[in-house]
Amino acid sequence: MSLPVKASGKDDYLFDLESERRVLSSMLHSEDACIEAYNALSASDFYSPRHANLFELTCSIYEREIRPTYVELLKEAHTLGLFSNPRDIEELKYISEHYIEDENILYWIKRVKDKSKLRRFEGFLRRNQQILNENPDREVEETLLLAEEELTNLTALDQDDHIDTPEELAHLGYEEVERRFLRFKEIQEEHKGVIPLDGLPTGFDNLNHITLGYKPGDLIILGAQTGHGKTAFALHTAKAVAVDNGKNLLYLNTEMSRQQIALRWASILAGIDHDLIRKGDITETELSKVLEAYSRLRVSGFYSYPCPNLTPEKTISLARKFKAQKNIEMMIIDYIGRMDKMDPRLAEWQLLEQIVKTQKILAQNLGIAVICLVQLNPDGSLQGAKRMKNECDLMLKLSPLDPEDLETDENLKKYHNPNYALYIEKNRDGVSGKRIPIVFDLQKQVMRDAERKG
Amino acid sequence: MRKGRVSMYEEQKIHKIYDETASLIVDLSLRHRISHHEMHFLLNLLDQTVVKGRCPELMEALKKWDPDRLDPESNEIIKATLLALDMQDQEALKSIAGLIEDLIP
Repeated sequence: MSLPVKASGKDDYLFDLESERRVLSSMLHSEDACIEAYNALSASDFYSPRHANLFELTCSIYEREIRPTYVELLKEAHTLGLFSNPRDIEELKYISEHYIEDENILYWIKRVKDKSKLRRFEGFLRRNQQILNENPDREVEETLLLAEEELTNLTALDQDDHIDTPEELAHLGYEEVERRFLRFKEIQEEHKGVIPLDGLPTGFDNLNHITLGYKPGDLIILGAQTGHGKTAFALHTAKAVAVDNGKNLLYLNTEMSRQQIALRWASILAGIDHDLIRKGDITETELSKVLEAYSRLRVSGFYSYPCPNLTPEKTISLARKFKAQKNIEMMIIDYIGRMDKMDPRLAEWQLLEQIVKTQKILAQNLGIAVICLVQLNPDGSLQGAKRMKNECDLMLKLSPLDPEDLETDENLKKYHNPNYALYIEKNRDGVSGKRIPIVFDLQKQVMRDAERKG
Repeated sequence: MRKGRVSMYEEQKIHKIYDETASLIVDLSLRHRISHHEMHFLLNLLDQTVVKGRCPELMEALKKWDPDRLDPESNEIIKATLLALDMQDQEALKSIAGLIEDLIP
């Protein structure tokens, strides 16, 4: 490292070193700023190679779950031998002094990003100038078309976005069909007809069969009335994903305390009535079972964040953080009706719609599955249901079965003791309108597929 | 850094002192005035006290420690124990604070 780059000359408009310093400084002083910059920028957005290095270093510290303070950065750079003389430290100190208030971080990130785009545009002009100089006889239409495609990518889209060409789409399509063909063969030959999942397990064989699992980018909505098992469903899913399959998952709960969530796991994993556990009315043998149950939770991928004042903005920040540091594959929000309103003028259904839209974008951007639990009205309907249905990939409703149905419905008679059902209201990738009978043991807080008779 | 408890001006002042101190520590290491181990200890101590606001007992004990008023053997014991300290271990932090208090006159 050496002294700061002197920002002067005819190309000044191509970089903004002050903005770069302000972003880096904020990353060292605030975790929220660090999350924003980590997600919005890449090292190539920085003009100064030293700033790009420091950005990468800060991100790598953050990914290891260490708060990237000024001291941590100094330690890391020193260990890696990036500092060879005291002037290097002076430069880092100079950067750190460019501290800004957290709320301004998006402004400075945008300035860094805009200059990065401008440099790419300048590179585009230079390249095309060179093409014109070197190939004066080239077809004008061809030159313009190529330039137009490149320019469109620069102006209209972010770096992450991408327009598929016909060739790319055909290639992707064939790869998908070939993958499915090979998988089908594998099913026939090795798995004896059991379909392997495309995504994360749902915890129900019948739902797995219909959906092929919760896939990255999926938004799943589960609706249930108060006291009808929303949290039990969430933890049942968490068990399938994080405990049984060891995948990392973030669980956000707006209603329950840490102790309540921890206690629920004892019932679910040890199979002991929740009331008895809450009272402590268990035998020593059962206590041993509880210990064994928690040893399974200890090595699982379940990360819990009880948060009574959760906002849509906070879910984004948390999801990004856990994606960066724990590589989560799923986030469950239990439940979105309890989220705080940022804008008090919004009606309830508008808020829900806004949250659901945000979560869909989040799921796609991070490549994770997001499950949102929502509360149904007493008549089983859902406020803003149509709009929510449009946004989500899978919409499920959980409700107890009507005892009359159990006696009269021929289809239900084929199962052993179902007491609840999952209704598939929407399924973007497969059949919908199906009802899956399940058994929900309220005492033990566990769910399972209802077994077919015979 | 400990938002809400201090004014904006004070917060900036704390930032500046923190940056200056951290830079000074690394500078001393680059000039071979302190060892790599000593640098790490001092940087960790700075982070624990300023950023995380932890180990007040240790800070109080260190303020009272004046090596000129203590025999070389006791000074060596304190220094060696500090350098081997795991800053994440709150119990160890309290225990070494007690040790220093015991050794100083």
